[in-house]
Amino acid sequence: MEHGGLAVDIIKRNGRRPSEAFVREKLHDSIVAACLSTGMPVGQAEGIAKAVAEHVVGWLRSRPEVTSHDLRRIASKHLRAHHPDAAYLYEQHRSIL
Amino acid sequence: MDIATSLAIVTLAALVHASFQLSVSVLTLLSGHSIGAKRSHARTLRLTSSFVFGAGVMTLLLLSFISLVLLTIFGQDAPQLIWAIACGLLIGVGIAVWFFYYRREKGTSLWIPRSFARHLSERSKATKSAAESFSLGLTSVISELLFIAAPLIISGLVIIQLPGIWLLVGIAVYTVISLITLFSIWVLISSGHRLSEIQKWRETNKHFLQFAAGGALTVLGFFVYVCKIIADVAGVA
Repeated sequence: MEHGGLAVDIIKRNGRRPSEAFVREKLHDSIVAACLSTGMPVGQAEGIAKAVAEHVVGWLRSRPEVTSHDLRRIASKHLRAHHPDAAYLYEQHRSIL
Repeated sequence: MDIATSLAIVTLAALVHASFQLSVSVLTLLSGHSIGAKRSHARTLRLTSSFVFGAGVMTLLLLSFISLVLLTIFGQDAPQLIWAIACGLLIGVGIAVWFFYYRREKGTSLWIPRSFARHLSERSKATKSAAESFSLGLTSVISELLFIAAPLIISGLVIIQLPGIWLLVGIAVYTVISLITLFSIWVLISSGHRLSEIQKWRETNKHFLQFAAGGALTVLGFFVYVCKIIADVAGVA
């Protein structure tokens, strides 16, 4: 799927689920959710999510497909620079349970 | 076994139950999704309190059911073989918890089937109403059954021996104490504590919680064995 001039397939964890197209809004929303969980105001969370999504889109431009794990790792790396606590929650999302 | 000793056993079993982390993980996820979805604080509180209430109701139902089954089969005093099996179960689960409670990876992932964990995780994300949250609370206690079965059974055996109103007191004591950790997390979330802090504390102290739960189960198993079986055989009780 083409999204904002970017066509990247996201290979889901362990390849057990079918791959899906990269959707910037989905990444943005998940970062906003992690930021809000740290008690951050909505405006600041939206700003950080926008900046992180920009970095991730830049990283994706040269790649036709990436794993969801790598996508999360890169997003987390950039998020850590803005807010370490939010990055911690973003990384932990799948290992809480 | 006198009433004070019986209630002490029920209290320790309930504390072990409270130290298990599956329901706490689901509550953390539920709060995270609710806050992340920009729901109001009141809505988040309604969801989390329904979850805690659901967990409490299921604990109450499970303990009442186990007590009723034991009472129907064995009457007020179960045979020593059943006590010995229950003690063995406590010690066995205690040792298993030391080795297998948390997965050997970052975070607080538990040794439950991954498909099960995914289901609970997806349900906590999809939960929007208080009724769904209540049912998630019920489900999370059922999911923990592998770990909480031993303390529930030993509490059931002790509770059916209690006279009259003390039987109800025993069930109430177990239910309330087993909810202590969930209630504490609920209070922290309600008072605006950051989820990242709560999760960091849980991750930092996970090995202590694991050791404490396994150790308490083992100690409880030995204590009941000495208190009930050895004392009966020696004619002390």
